[in-house]
Amino acid sequence: MSQILRSKELNLIAMFLAFLAVFVPYFVNVPALDVFSTKLITITAITTAFTLLLAIYSQFRRGFDFVRRKPRGWIFKVYMMTAILLMLLFALGGLETGPYHWVMYAIITPLSSVNYGILAFYLASTCARAFKARNTKSILLILTSLIMLFYQAPFTGVYVNLGPLGIYLADTFVMAAGRMFLISVTVGAIVFGVRVLLGQEPSVLGIGREE
Amino acid sequence: MGLLLDIAVFVIVYYYLKSGKIPYVRRVAGLDAIEEAVGRSAEMGKPVMSTIGIDGFNYWTLAALTILDHVARDCAKKGCRILVPTGGSDSSYIVRPVAEEIVKNAYKLEGKEEDYRPEDLPFLSGQQYAYTGGVVGIIQRTKPGACIMVGGHHSEAMNIAETSNMAGALTITSGTYMGNVAVLACASDYILIGEETPAAGAYLSKDPAQRASIRCQDIYKGISIALIILGTIVLNFGSNFFIQLLSS
Repeated sequence: MSQILRSKELNLIAMFLAFLAVFVPYFVNVPALDVFSTKLITITAITTAFTLLLAIYSQFRRGFDFVRRKPRGWIFKVYMMTAILLMLLFALGGLETGPYHWVMYAIITPLSSVNYGILAFYLASTCARAFKARNTKSILLILTSLIMLFYQAPFTGVYVNLGPLGIYLADTFVMAAGRMFLISVTVGAIVFGVRVLLGQEPSVLGIGREE
Repeated sequence: MGLLLDIAVFVIVYYYLKSGKIPYVRRVAGLDAIEEAVGRSAEMGKPVMSTIGIDGFNYWTLAALTILDHVARDCAKKGCRILVPTGGSDSSYIVRPVAEEIVKNAYKLEGKEEDYRPEDLPFLSGQQYAYTGGVVGIIQRTKPGACIMVGGHHSEAMNIAETSNMAGALTITSGTYMGNVAVLACASDYILIGEETPAAGAYLSKDPAQRASIRCQDIYKGISIALIILGTIVLNFGSNFFIQLLSS
């Protein structure tokens, strides 16, 4: 049974039917198909929600393995598993507005913000490495970046009106490159989708490609 | 119009897959570097880190999974350890089992099932920055030889790419979002831009028919360019024919 369910053919047929159920209502107005399509999306959302259990299982399996082997920092795994259990208990006990929110707003959100803030330093270190005037192209790149920098973050008290130039660069070169990127990605995604539907990309179903 | 274009793309891809004609496909440095990255890591005795993004199932994630398949196969073949941290968002839960299955299958297909280590595929967190902290920590501790970061990565992409760079790993990334492309191009050794990521599965495949299907992308890009030029000319003559045609 498991072999049949995991077979490439069955997976492809199921995928193709699901594709038709969602794709056709975009172009053809069949109310029954619309309802079916909505139901299918709801079923997918519910199935996705169940994968949360798999995630928790995975965390505990890895956590217990760490604690058993006791490598450096194993105590953090104990904290993590305790935190998961506590959050589960708070949520199941109807304490979402109390301790659950406290953990979210007092611990998780500030820590995430710190991580986000660190981005500025990463960006600065990348820029320092990238913006070296090695040739004409990189000099042009530096000049453009300086114009955009002064346009976005002008020095207080020093009035250099780079607004029109910054807007011109953003509205012409940046927008043109952005649209080129979007067209290229869209075309790539459509062709990729067709290859998936034709069974040429079995790995997306978790089935390895025979070579 | 959209339906017609979709049907046409279906027919063209099918034609190229069946015809076996091998059209010219330009070299993609980022994809060619994947093999080099795994070989380099294997020689150095270091692991390869391959991430698939933090999104749920969208085309970036699916394309990343096809790349993961190739990387995992190559790692299994060359006896190189592969680290695949997953997570980063609520929708990433559903991608994880597929990623796990792909890596497991890759080792199985290479006849090295005993080398597969489930603990190298940790689910880090459903929170974006907790996941980022986890990935960055793994990079700093394991010092991978290569970091192949593809799929839907958002603001955390920079943290991962720059840490990977600092750890001395060969960094291959994909510019998923327009805002990410510029910074990732600076932070990575190789970057996949635009349609290069979705085309990776076919490009990395040794099958000529698969590679030929990429040709369809070039045809559609050509049509897009022609429409842009024609549209600009026609619009300047006061006609909105192409606007009406494409919005139908």
